Amino acid sequence: MSREYKVGIFVICAAALVLLALLFLAVEKGLFSTSHTYTLSSRTGDGFTVGMPVVFSGFDIGKVHSLELNDKGVVLIQISIPDKHVKWIKEDSFFVLYRPLIGAARIVVNTDNLESPPMPESKVAEVFVVNDINDAIEKIQPLLETIERLSRKVDDMASKADEQVFGKEGTLPQINKILKDVAGKLEKLETTVDNLNKISKDASEGTQDLGALRADIDEVAQTLNKVSRDIDALLYKKKNTEIRLP
Amino acid sequence: MKKFLITGMLMILCACATTSQIPEWQETSFRDIENYKTSFLTGKEGIAEAHFNRARGALATSNDLDLLAKAYLTKYALHASVLEEFDESEFLRIDRLQSVAANLSYYNFLKGNFAAVDESLLPDQYSKIIKSAREKNVAEARKEITAIDDPVSRLVACGVWIKHLSGDETILQTAINTAAENGWQKPLWAYLSQLEKYYLERGEIAKAAGIKERLELLKK
Repeated sequence: MSREYKVGIFVICAAALVLLALLFLAVEKGLFSTSHTYTLSSRTGDGFTVGMPVVFSGFDIGKVHSLELNDKGVVLIQISIPDKHVKWIKEDSFFVLYRPLIGAARIVVNTDNLESPPMPESKVAEVFVVNDINDAIEKIQPLLETIERLSRKVDDMASKADEQVFGKEGTLPQINKILKDVAGKLEKLETTVDNLNKISKDASEGTQDLGALRADIDEVAQTLNKVSRDIDALLYKKKNTEIRLP
Repeated sequence: MKKFLITGMLMILCACATTSQIPEWQETSFRDIENYKTSFLTGKEGIAEAHFNRARGALATSNDLDLLAKAYLTKYALHASVLEEFDESEFLRIDRLQSVAANLSYYNFLKGNFAAVDESLLPDQYSKIIKSAREKNVAEARKEITAIDDPVSRLVACGVWIKHLSGDETILQTAINTAAENGWQKPLWAYLSQLEKYYLERGEIAKAAGIKERLELLKK
């Protein structure tokens, strides 16, 4: 067999292998499978991204194909579901945008009755929103506001040099104690948020919100610490803070 | 005239505004040492250690070995006040580098080397006790110890006396009362156990059993 012949066979085999591999990948990735497109609606596009997974019972069954805003100001979300997963989407399915505190946001499909007829592609179902992050922030927000109000009041009081305020059992030392306590708690919360941040590296959007939250807490804690230091300075102006042997 | 008035008022305002701000390390270390004392005496050892380490860190940033030595001596004094041994290596290391006579005196006092103590350098509350300690005059010591105002110092004096001189019922009772008044669990238990031992050594079995029973009840 001549050398040219051998080289020819080798080249053909290699090319065939590469093609086969590509074909295999394409099939696996669902290039040739047809998919159904459903349209969902939402009043806000907040939290939706193209490519976001659609899950059923915790399994990825499709993804968000495109987002658009219609003439009425309603956000239309097109999700594409490959043929093999279409069976999970029925007429009475409902869709929930789930934004967990940790992990990526996703659209969850809930189908109570798998016997019901399949959902027609023309039907536009509304998406409900479950939002852990915003819920958490909403809970913390009033707390932050209270603290801010408290520290403003303390500032006001600091200008009134009055035994009732400055005395050992006066209001100021008491508030100072509370402030220190709150600051300590906030610092703890901050480390918790930090830890959450570390855990949820993959949650792109979630971490951004957490980052903002952390910065908020950090700021408040700093302010509180400063206020409490100021009060300390007022209280201990004459008191010695030198370390003495007991 | 108006200008002078305004300038004058501004000057007064500025004078008011400059409150002599205490440096942060000083404040942190002071507060943490205070917190360390309370946590230690109330038996929260883990928290106490954290406070001490923070105070130590804050003091270290000031480059002041004298203060650092004082922090360690405070720790040793508290250990002495609850009749515990302490590891003095850190203080000795500091002392080798920069010896402060007052600190060394205090250290010798805690270790029971009363001959090496210069009482004029000790904190005021202990200066008289040294004399009775050298003379081993218990009656005088009882009076001196009860006269100490600061409860922590009183416990330190009790601890040093009990550990390095003799067990004495009155002094033990003083320590127990001091601990109880302030709600300090650690010294309370330590001195109660010591009192039990004291009674046992003297053969007063019934009294010892009573204290033992009391301790068991308290610890439950």
